[in-house]
Amino acid sequence: MQGKGLLTGMGITFREFFRKKVTEEYPDVQPDLGDRFRGGKIHLVASKCIACGLCQNACPNGSVRLTTVKDANNKRQLATYVHDTGLCLYCNLCIEACPTKCIEWTKEFALSSYSRDGLVFDCLEAARQRGDVKPPEAPQPDGEKG
Amino acid sequence: MQTQTYELNMGPQHPSTHGVLRIILELDGEVVVKATPVIGYLHRGIEKICEGKTYGQTIPFTDRMDYMHSMNNNLGLCQAVEKLMGLEVPERAEYIRVIMAELSRIASHMIYAGALVNDLGGVTGFVFLIRDRERILELFNKACGARMTFNYIRIGGVQQDVPEGWVEECRRFVDDFPEMMHTYNGLIMGNEIFQARMKDIAILPPDRAVAMAASGGVLRASGVNYDVRKDDPYGIYDRFDFDVPLGTKGDNWDRFIVRMQEMEQSIRIIDQALKQMPEGPVMAKVPKVIKPPVGEVYHHVENSKGDLGYYVVSDGGMKPYRWHARRPAMVNLQLLDELCRGYKIADVVAILGTLDPVLGEVDC
Repeated sequence: MQGKGLLTGMGITFREFFRKKVTEEYPDVQPDLGDRFRGGKIHLVASKCIACGLCQNACPNGSVRLTTVKDANNKRQLATYVHDTGLCLYCNLCIEACPTKCIEWTKEFALSSYSRDGLVFDCLEAARQRGDVKPPEAPQPDGEKG
Repeated sequence: MQTQTYELNMGPQHPSTHGVLRIILELDGEVVVKATPVIGYLHRGIEKICEGKTYGQTIPFTDRMDYMHSMNNNLGLCQAVEKLMGLEVPERAEYIRVIMAELSRIASHMIYAGALVNDLGGVTGFVFLIRDRERILELFNKACGARMTFNYIRIGGVQQDVPEGWVEECRRFVDDFPEMMHTYNGLIMGNEIFQARMKDIAILPPDRAVAMAASGGVLRASGVNYDVRKDDPYGIYDRFDFDVPLGTKGDNWDRFIVRMQEMEQSIRIIDQALKQMPEGPVMAKVPKVIKPPVGEVYHHVENSKGDLGYYVVSDGGMKPYRWHARRPAMVNLQLLDELCRGYKIADVVAILGTLDPVLGEVDC
């Protein structure tokens, strides 16, 4: 019968009308994105970082940029650490490359900006503001090593 | 009365062109005389970019080719490099790969069917399909933390094991799928308007489909039995029992229905894989710096769009010397002109929808 299919379809739509709602009332209700969610910017624990630069090398798109300086003990220290989220592919390769597990995702997902500069985040500065700084090591006196 | 044809520009911002495809339509009244797809709006030069990256770093770029079926893109490249290196992948990783690839195929076909129905005016069908696809994306998010661009399948295995409770949730999806299919059957496939728009439109004979190197659902809708999973099994696909749905006519309707039936077959594969999946490691012993021996490899997998192939040449270094992808959506799209000729302008949207192009893959 012509039109039977249409009526069946309308019946299904009517039945679905009484199903449990699947929509979330964002932004009043924030979605649960799980603990493996990759998003936001890099959260750097500066006190654990050994400034090896593996995260920078692992990045396929040049989104992680860092520079280092040598301190009084001739040890490498972070000078700058920038995460350009505009270039980030969120591939997780930097997080996996880190030998001390000192970087992780901040997991926010609403990063938007009016300019590309607004997508560049200084992770080291953010760490300093949290009060997360490397404890200064006392310089070792010369000639008494080992 | 003397009349002449005229040109109409469709896209690149047209909602039915599935991205940024531009079609130059030459029309005689409302009958299509010629349809020329203009591609390249999304070209990023991924092949050239990948020549400057290490093998592991090229995987995220494959996610951005066919972003509807990213898992399989990861899989194809990883298996190509593994073939080159002679790497053995752990059993559990193989099963997880199959489950992910098939879930991804279902998600891709859901978008395909939803977008097609939406283009033909049935927005309700679109919403139902997207709603159910959300459950698959949620499974992906739980496993790897991303919903579309996964970078989950890696050279030598998968990034990490699925979390606790994931298998049960996947099982629930598999169990609920027949009911979802029942909804689509009643709402979309049974709809007379939809059938009238699809049946006997844009018939593609099998010899033309083969001559134009079509693959995937487009080829099988014409009745040609070719599925890489069956004809050149990769991974562990030879262990599963599934059918290859075939069409009879090669019209729009067949191209649609073949993919709907493919979703059911994918569910069968997932069901078997979940039952057989062993415990164990998910990553082989892979050197930190991947340097495949000098040589070249071609490996192809069955993507939701068709036969996706990767050609990788190694010069023994850390980066591929040449990295090429054979993208099925690109090849299938070349049929557009042939299929559109002689049909009405309103059919162009339906024909384009059944060819299922993803512009990320077409332009690459």
